Amino acid sequence: MKKRMLSALLAVSLALGLAACGSDSGTAASTAASGQTTASETEQDRVVVVMSPESEPEAGFDPAYGWGAGEHVHEPLIQSTLVVTGSDMSIQYDLATDMQVSEDGLTWTVTIRDDVKFTDGQPLTAQDVAFTYNTVKEKSTVNDFTMLDYAQAADDTTVLFHMNRPYSVWPYSMAVVGIVPEHAYNENYGQAPIGSGRYMLKQWDKGQQIILEANPDYYGGEVKMKQVVVLFMSEDAAFAAVKAGQADVAYTAAAYADQTVEGYELLSVKTVDNRGINLPAMPFDGTSGNDFTADARVRQAINIGFDRQEMIDNVLNGYGTPAYSVCDGMPWYSPDNQVSYDPEQAAALLDEAGWTLNADGLREKDGQTAQLNLLYPMGDSTRQALAADLANQLRRLGIETSTEGVGWDTAYDRALSEPLVWGWGSHSPMELYNIYHTVNGTAEYSPYANARVDELMDQALATSDLEEAYQLWQQAQSEELVNDVPWVWMVNVDHLFWVDQDLEVAQQKLHPHGHGWSIVNNVDQWSWKRAE
Amino acid sequence: MHTKRLAPRTAAALRLALAAAVLLAVTVLGIACQEQAMAVDFARKNLAPGGECLFGTDWMGRDMLARTLTGLSLSIRIGVVTAAVSALFALLVGTGAALLGRWADAALTWIIDLFMGIPHILLLVLLSCACGRGFWGVTVGIVFTHWMSLARVIRGEVLQLKQSGYIQVARKLGASPAAIARRHILPGVLPQFFTGLVLLFPHAILHEASVTFLGFGLTSEQPAIGVILSESMQYLATGRWWLALLPGICLVAVVLLFELAGRSLAALWDVTGAKEDV
Repeated sequence: MKKRMLSALLAVSLALGLAACGSDSGTAASTAASGQTTASETEQDRVVVVMSPESEPEAGFDPAYGWGAGEHVHEPLIQSTLVVTGSDMSIQYDLATDMQVSEDGLTWTVTIRDDVKFTDGQPLTAQDVAFTYNTVKEKSTVNDFTMLDYAQAADDTTVLFHMNRPYSVWPYSMAVVGIVPEHAYNENYGQAPIGSGRYMLKQWDKGQQIILEANPDYYGGEVKMKQVVVLFMSEDAAFAAVKAGQADVAYTAAAYADQTVEGYELLSVKTVDNRGINLPAMPFDGTSGNDFTADARVRQAINIGFDRQEMIDNVLNGYGTPAYSVCDGMPWYSPDNQVSYDPEQAAALLDEAGWTLNADGLREKDGQTAQLNLLYPMGDSTRQALAADLANQLRRLGIETSTEGVGWDTAYDRALSEPLVWGWGSHSPMELYNIYHTVNGTAEYSPYANARVDELMDQALATSDLEEAYQLWQQAQSEELVNDVPWVWMVNVDHLFWVDQDLEVAQQKLHPHGHGWSIVNNVDQWSWKRAE
Repeated sequence: MHTKRLAPRTAAALRLALAAAVLLAVTVLGIACQEQAMAVDFARKNLAPGGECLFGTDWMGRDMLARTLTGLSLSIRIGVVTAAVSALFALLVGTGAALLGRWADAALTWIIDLFMGIPHILLLVLLSCACGRGFWGVTVGIVFTHWMSLARVIRGEVLQLKQSGYIQVARKLGASPAAIARRHILPGVLPQFFTGLVLLFPHAILHEASVTFLGFGLTSEQPAIGVILSESMQYLATGRWWLALLPGICLVAVVLLFELAGRSLAALWDVTGAKEDV
């Protein structure tokens, strides 16, 4: 009898232990669910969003360490920014009420609202703004602030930015840097941030969830969604959470797009989150360059020699748009980048470059076969499939193409001599500069140099008028880049989400690279359709 | 009526032949399918197992049967290389420890204990990363993590042989240590050596698959079993069970076949020590 009781006890404790182990990833969801029952009166204005584990800000909510202003830009929510980008990527005021740039482009004068308070009750002044920018300049390891000399508060509502060099795209930097309070900033700020934005950080269970609550004193419009719960889950766990009805919005990938979940709709957000390959535009010199792609005609042939729509259908199940530049749809994008699929013209270009078809259906020149090895980052199945599809299509052109997975530890170096499948797409024209402008004689990520491109981009940065800058950015593309083709852009990947069919997700602007926080840029304007 | 039963040795020989034949066939078939295994055809992606593709296809429309065979073939070939080098190393260290005197024995035994003290997979990941991953990373990693147990077995065996009468006699007759090692000791440990070698295979193959699965081994364009299994994890949630199940079963089958071959060999040579877990 005793024995039996003991074994029953053991069995129960074992089951409990198993349950405890099994619920590792489910804990966040269940706490979120229990929160729902206790706060049923707020259910109407509460939303649960699932993001990937990589979206969790490692260094906390500190703009100096990449929050909002890192590799993946998005609105910082907890802090407010001087300006914001509109749905057409134009610059609109948030904290700022006016901004002027001096004739020489070296001084920006920004006036700010005088009625804004941080959530600890202290007013937000120009001193805080200057402090923020001087701090990010000094500390930021993820963003480039070398163009800023220093920021200075002229009075309580006027801040002066003294620049090292003219920098016309400065407003796009101002759109991602959240303003922090000087009086409450220290090295632990990222863990317990105080801001003046639409939301306050209420709770952060690392590795599981973040709970944001509406800022009752927010100076802007009404924050409709009072509580935002962000859960971090892997792709398959996110899908399971959707099937269990535990999430209102969850990120997903094209591989899941053919599934259906009752009560949910698939939201596909257009993006400038592009995938493209670099084509080294200089001959191989022992460490960098590539003899085959050094010929501009070869690069042009590749650019028009594959069918982008076929790629989208094959790899993305249709969830994408053809990409022709790194900045499709942005105000600085030149429509001249667009090309149409033309295999005959591509073949003619290759013939002209001396690469003629041989008996095996491959192209050769001086006894050398036309060869490309496409690199892709290991573990990224979308980029792997894109590389495979491009390889298939280039083989049709007679180029012997192979694919190879590489780790990021070696990818940057290897891309200097071989094409790599990259992902870019940002809400700032600086990306054009970073990719195409030379640093010490050649562009940073792939060998390429064009003095005219450098000149036009330098002019674009030097001008004091944003509209004129757009023109110059476009000119660099339409005059030079469309002929040089140092990069070939393939697709813009749609960002996919499962969304509760009763949830009204506000209109999204083109998402930048990074399938993460961008979706909640305007979560304050989301609403529920279901009746009380 | 008596049913004729095969003599144990004949049965063992038959099992050995069968296992060897199947493994050889897989190796050869895998090499033959290499091209097919790499071929991407989006027109037939995500097919369930059926008439056209026995093992189905993955998200890039690659034939999983060809990939599985090629992956197994690759695993077996890596297994052959690593098990052979590893066993040779074990033979050298084992005989060296037993024959080169007290100090050498103490040093080599200490090294064996040191290597055995570090968790297998951890050391394997470290070595593989240090050698730049890929084929060579995995090979070097497996070679230097699998020799210890066999080295120990061989050392024990040689120590035992050293005490036996005929070697004592040979020594008294003035045979040089090298000659004794070559003529009398090596033949004595060969059965142990070969059995140990074959029994290293399953470990080498499983560890190759695991280190690749974890992302520290072969690169993802190679149709290795570890790559196939880790890729399949992403698709389990959408119900594509065949991507993991069928290649997984095949991997287990190959490992069991090697185990069977090793046991049969042990039975043929009547070796007992080699059954110690390597």
